Amino acid sequence: MNLEPQIIEVNKKRKILCIEDEHFIGELYTRALSKAGYDIKVIADGVEALKEAQTDQYDIILLDLMIPNLTGIEVLRILRDPNKTPKLKAKIIITTNLEQREDVKADIEKQADAYVVKAELTPNELVEFLDNIK
Amino acid sequence: MDNLSLVKRSLRRHLWLIFILENIIFGFSLYISINFLKFKIYIDFCISSLIAIFFIALIVIISTNYIIQPLKALWQSILHLSPNGNQPIKAPDLKSLSLGQELVTNLVGQLYEIARVGHESALKDRSINSLNSNFIANSMPLPLFILDNSENIKFVNKSAADYIGINTKDLIDKNFYSLLDMSFPSEDTLDKWLTNVKQKTATASKSWERVRLDVGDSHPTLLFDLAAYYNQGNIEGNTTMVIFFDHTKQYSQDDQAISFIALSVHELRTPLTLLRGYIEVFEEELKGKTTPEIEDYINKMHASSEQLTAFVNNILNVARVDNDQLELKLQSEDWSDILTKSVDNIRLRAIVRSINLELNIDLNLPKVAADRLSIQEVINNLVDNAIKYSNDSKVIKINSRVNSEGLVETDIQDFGVGISSSIMPNLFTKFYRDHRNRSQIGGTGLGLYLSKAIVTAHGGNLWVRSEEGKGSTFSFTLIPYDQLSKNLKEKDDKFIRSAHGWIKNHSYYRR
Repeated sequence: MNLEPQIIEVNKKRKILCIEDEHFIGELYTRALSKAGYDIKVIADGVEALKEAQTDQYDIILLDLMIPNLTGIEVLRILRDPNKTPKLKAKIIITTNLEQREDVKADIEKQADAYVVKAELTPNELVEFLDNIK
Repeated sequence: MDNLSLVKRSLRRHLWLIFILENIIFGFSLYISINFLKFKIYIDFCISSLIAIFFIALIVIISTNYIIQPLKALWQSILHLSPNGNQPIKAPDLKSLSLGQELVTNLVGQLYEIARVGHESALKDRSINSLNSNFIANSMPLPLFILDNSENIKFVNKSAADYIGINTKDLIDKNFYSLLDMSFPSEDTLDKWLTNVKQKTATASKSWERVRLDVGDSHPTLLFDLAAYYNQGNIEGNTTMVIFFDHTKQYSQDDQAISFIALSVHELRTPLTLLRGYIEVFEEELKGKTTPEIEDYINKMHASSEQLTAFVNNILNVARVDNDQLELKLQSEDWSDILTKSVDNIRLRAIVRSINLELNIDLNLPKVAADRLSIQEVINNLVDNAIKYSNDSKVIKINSRVNSEGLVETDIQDFGVGISSSIMPNLFTKFYRDHRNRSQIGGTGLGLYLSKAIVTAHGGNLWVRSEEGKGSTFSFTLIPYDQLSKNLKEKDDKFIRSAHGWIKNHSYYRR
């Protein structure tokens, strides 16, 4: 039984940074997204993820809100603050399973490009969703 | 002419009659005796009797005046005190009385005293000013409001001001509806009732259970029973009395139960995401490479994980509905596409129970205004119910078409156990479950409650027809997108609605 990801070569791979501390979910997304032709990197730590995101080499950033050392909303605020981060080309998509406080919700609505509830999407549905993010 | 003069006149008339009759008898007997005795003193008798008649008449007139005068004074004082719409009546002139002046003065004095006391106590009962100083009204531990005919607050007691956390002076003369954001568990609201009774009756009273009041962000929502009493005849126009019976603690326990479940259910989401994800991996990797038996197991795993996901979403959405946090974004959607996909998602759940879902969608349905995820949940709940209550029948029919009102109507019909008419009224109530099936069929009693809230927030309607032993048909309507957008001025791409299980008391209130 071969469960290894089968990487399909595409001319121009879109790069995704997946900021996710739930190891199994990172693994599941890696498999599905690489299979669908994305170049995916998973980072579980907030501070580390922020540094990586600021290199501006990604097309899409999947940002979980519950991550260690720096919360997802803090990462979002720093990435969207022109004094701290030059404008990124990446679309930022919040991924979470939790209800948000009002202030967090307002920030997400203003600063993120999209918002998905992980439990509502299977990996294939996530791929379909990302394919439509231009 | 007053009543007294009438009495006096009729009294005089009767006295005159008696007097005349008496004199006729007297004259007649005189005449007979003269004739009999042959006395020739007829003329003398006539003269003397005439003189007698004159004197008697004089006495009668004077005496009746004397006797009547005190009576008249009493009568006039009564008339003076009685409310008289036509003309004011003067107080009696007691000094001009020549007979029984002391007695009449005394009596009239007492009459005036009685009237004064009566008037004061009547004022005390009616007047809002005296309510303000009324010990009972103010120290009553139940919040009490008195409203005028336009629902402006005329009186609040201390408990009421404390209960809603607003100073008494900031409440007086404010509109009750616009000040208090009350929600009722059904469409039978205070506003509706009051409007109705004002048209039809003079007095009425009614009570409601589980009324909700949001008093601001810093306060928790208040939950209480409400009693209202309407009396059209109140002199000062304060027609309505409203009393609150606080049950916040008791009623919020249900809500807390839901919040607690919602909190726990959150913890299921991550593992569920993984389970569903890996089941999908299995399906992809093993398709056509394994035995039909294993494929069947995977199908069952898939169906169960979907069912669990639906359950989790239901619980979370009920918590959102109850907290007024479920927000729907109505967009122009292809109903045929949504319905087909949703039914396909549940189809597996039907197949593992050998039930066939027959989907029949009319061609050329207009685009509907819908929030995709939420309306999918409604389809999911209704079809899931149909599967659960199908018993031994093996078909569920799902039809969608444009109805006579131009709305997109969808029916989900099963041929199973049906619903007894006795439980129909409670069908859409939170936590309600048919007691007959509770032990055999699983469920939370939340699905229909939630579905109703979601469909209502879409501007549609959800209803059921059922016959025990023959099955049930649940139907709901959605509004075509064009029809909805036509009614709104700005051409926005989506409309945001919030879903709640509560009905606002009055549309004055805007968030």
